[in-house]
Amino acid sequence: MDKPRLVTPPKVDPNIAIEVDELDFFYGDFHALHAVDLRIPAHKVTAFIGPSGCGKSTLLRCFNRMNDLVPVARIGHGSIRVHGTDIHGPNVDPIELRKRVGMVFQKSNPFPKSIYENVVYGLRIQGRAKRDELDEVVERALRQAALWDEVKDRLHESGLGLSGGQQQRLCIARTIAVEPEIILMDEPCSALDPIATSKVEELIFELKKQYTIVIVTHNMQQAGRCSDLTAFFYLGKLIEIGATEKIFTNPREKQTEDYITGRFG
Amino acid sequence: MKNPNRFDRTRLRLDHLIARFFGANALVAIVVLALITLFLFREGAAFFPMNLENLRNYRLAGLEYVGMMRDEIEGHTALNRSLQDLRLRQMNALLAEKKSPEAIQAELAKFDAFTAEFDSAVDELRGVVSDLTDAVTAIKDKAKLREDALQQRQFLLNEGKRAEADAVPVTEIDFVKELEPVKAAFPLFESASLQFRGKIETLLLRPPTLPVKALQPRFEQFQKAARAYIAAFPETNRRLKEWNQFAPVPWIRSVTSFLFGTEWITNSFWQDWYGVLPLLTGSLLVSFIALLIAVPLGVCTAVYTSELAHPAEQRLIKPYIEFISAIPSVVLGFFGIAVLGETLRALTQWKALSWISFFPIAERLNAFTAGVLLALMALPTIFTLSEDAINSVPRAFKEASYALGATRLQTVFRILIPASLSGIISAVLLGFGRVIGETMVVLLCAGNRIAIPDFTQGLGVFFQPVHTMTGIVAQELGEVANGTIHYRALFMVGLLLFVLALGINWLAQLMVRRFKISIG
Ligand SMILES: Nc1ncnc2c1ncn2[C@@H]1O[C@H](COP(=O)(O)OP(=O)(O)O)[C@@H](O)[C@H]1O
Ligand SMILES: [Mg+2]
Repeated sequence: MDKPRLVTPPKVDPNIAIEVDELDFFYGDFHALHAVDLRIPAHKVTAFIGPSGCGKSTLLRCFNRMNDLVPVARIGHGSIRVHGTDIHGPNVDPIELRKRVGMVFQKSNPFPKSIYENVVYGLRIQGRAKRDELDEVVERALRQAALWDEVKDRLHESGLGLSGGQQQRLCIARTIAVEPEIILMDEPCSALDPIATSKVEELIFELKKQYTIVIVTHNMQQAGRCSDLTAFFYLGKLIEIGATEKIFTNPREKQTEDYITGRFG
Repeated sequence: MKNPNRFDRTRLRLDHLIARFFGANALVAIVVLALITLFLFREGAAFFPMNLENLRNYRLAGLEYVGMMRDEIEGHTALNRSLQDLRLRQMNALLAEKKSPEAIQAELAKFDAFTAEFDSAVDELRGVVSDLTDAVTAIKDKAKLREDALQQRQFLLNEGKRAEADAVPVTEIDFVKELEPVKAAFPLFESASLQFRGKIETLLLRPPTLPVKALQPRFEQFQKAARAYIAAFPETNRRLKEWNQFAPVPWIRSVTSFLFGTEWITNSFWQDWYGVLPLLTGSLLVSFIALLIAVPLGVCTAVYTSELAHPAEQRLIKPYIEFISAIPSVVLGFFGIAVLGETLRALTQWKALSWISFFPIAERLNAFTAGVLLALMALPTIFTLSEDAINSVPRAFKEASYALGATRLQTVFRILIPASLSGIISAVLLGFGRVIGETMVVLLCAGNRIAIPDFTQGLGVFFQPVHTMTGIVAQELGEVANGTIHYRALFMVGLLLFVLALGINWLAQLMVRRFKISIG
């Protein structure tokens, strides 16, 4: 983080949402990401795959600077730009960044509040409290998250009373309520049953019209079904990235092929 | 094949023994708790019949009757006091105007004359009531002697010494006959009271004007109070006429006079009262002050250390606060007397604060002094448990909040505190339990005045000396004779305290359970 960045930002390409240049990332002495270089296109779904512990979550959490909350985490070298802005630049407030880059977690984590309050949380902390506006946003976000019909009659009941899949969709609704540009999803379906999973996948398909989505997944079929691009990571390195079809049918690297065909991981 | 089997069996037996051991420990704890409750009940429960006897004798011996008359005198004394107070205030005001003592004397002459007349107006009435007081206390003493003799006889009978028991002289008392002269004196009282009333009325017709204009409203207040006072005389007379020596005292009064009695008076020549209210309000007031200080401090520190502080700060703050609970309470009490009380008084004497009506404070040992120290004692409890509650909020809630663009403070106030609220409340309740049961500090620093604090003084009530339930038991239990009503009354106070503490703990546990459910 303290080393001067040598890379001069190139011209902003509106089709690129996130650019990662030569990123080295450390947890204390542990080198978690090695010179990761990557472009994530806007309005597409990009999937991160790779064996567990290879740094997918770490990279994802770099995009909204969630790693700032981990005391030992630091960036050794490289930079990340979101829509052309260096997110570690002096004028970037991580709070503002997180409003633009939303995140859905592996384990659904609705707040112990009502469904309604869960959805409007992001607005309330921005000081937006007009009842009409909030009502409108709640309906829009829940409809987009395909949850509206299931919960419209119990908006003021606790979000913890929903089923696992509903909870995860509530978390997605909560994230899109603040209208971010990018949504990061860290294994959003790993704790869900197949039916709930397919609902979330349909949702991702809908959402990509409006948002840029980066999704970490363990599930090859899932990556194949809903992503446009796939990036394969191994031991903290980006091995290869390309169109999902190509990665799954004709990968460039041997390691990728081994992983996809299930020979390890 | 045999060996492992045997091994297994011994191990099983060992497991069994260990389980037994812990089970037995729990059992011992339960039994001890039950024994304590039982013991407190056994010693305390006999209070009620004794108190009933006490109340019946109060009526039989005519103390109640003469008590009504004494109340009339008491009312005058209170009015007199307010006149004295008014004089003092005028004096201070005039002194502040830099007038000479002679000039002040002259200016206050009219007021002083009024005061003197007001004071002496009661003399004749007081004489009458004083004689009657002597008469009824004599009856009461006789009754007491008889009771003591009966007790001694019972004691001897229990020992099997029948002859000696019969030899104990017991003089029967005819309460009707004894009280006749007292009741016969009613016309005397009535006429003295009438005269007294006349004097006051004429006095009130020509009130002096005060040299200090600002105090005029206070004087008017006094006049109003005085008029209300004499207007109540006919009612007193009516009640005296209607009074019945043999009106039954329902047994429930022995309970209500304890729970709601406003006076705790013991070893009085007149009548002993065992009303717990002054002690209860004292305990609650001191605890309230303590919590008022310790709750914000404890909870804020907990939030700070668990969420905002550097790890280095955390390492400093936590042991430091937990260390406080290692200070012996008698040391804290000593500190309270020697340092805190003095400092408080010096602070309230400060000129810049003189606009506060109840400053400077009269007593350096008061509810506030004790409350501050108790706050210190409750702080570790509240801090540690609140911190636990905040720390046990799942990380996922925090992360979700940050990921939505919340700042640290927003996350603390909108997520952490609401999610751990019932845990925090239970921490506060346990802190409350801690302070209400604390004895040494209140005994040393609360001022030990047995009276319901004067809540009409607003915040000034915080600076009045009070006595507490724990304090009274510690102070008096060593001095009273075993088995007397006073002794038993103290046990009842202890029992009440025990029930209170149990209730608080139960509530705290209820909150913790709710907390677990809401997080889980
Ligand atoms: N907070 C942390 N402190 C130290 N090491 C961590 C931390 N989080 C993750 N790691 C390590 O970083 C590596 C990458 O972790 P992660 O990004 O979670 O992997 P993935 O999501 O691909 O399974 C792992 O070896 C993990 O042990
Ligand atoms: Mg992960």
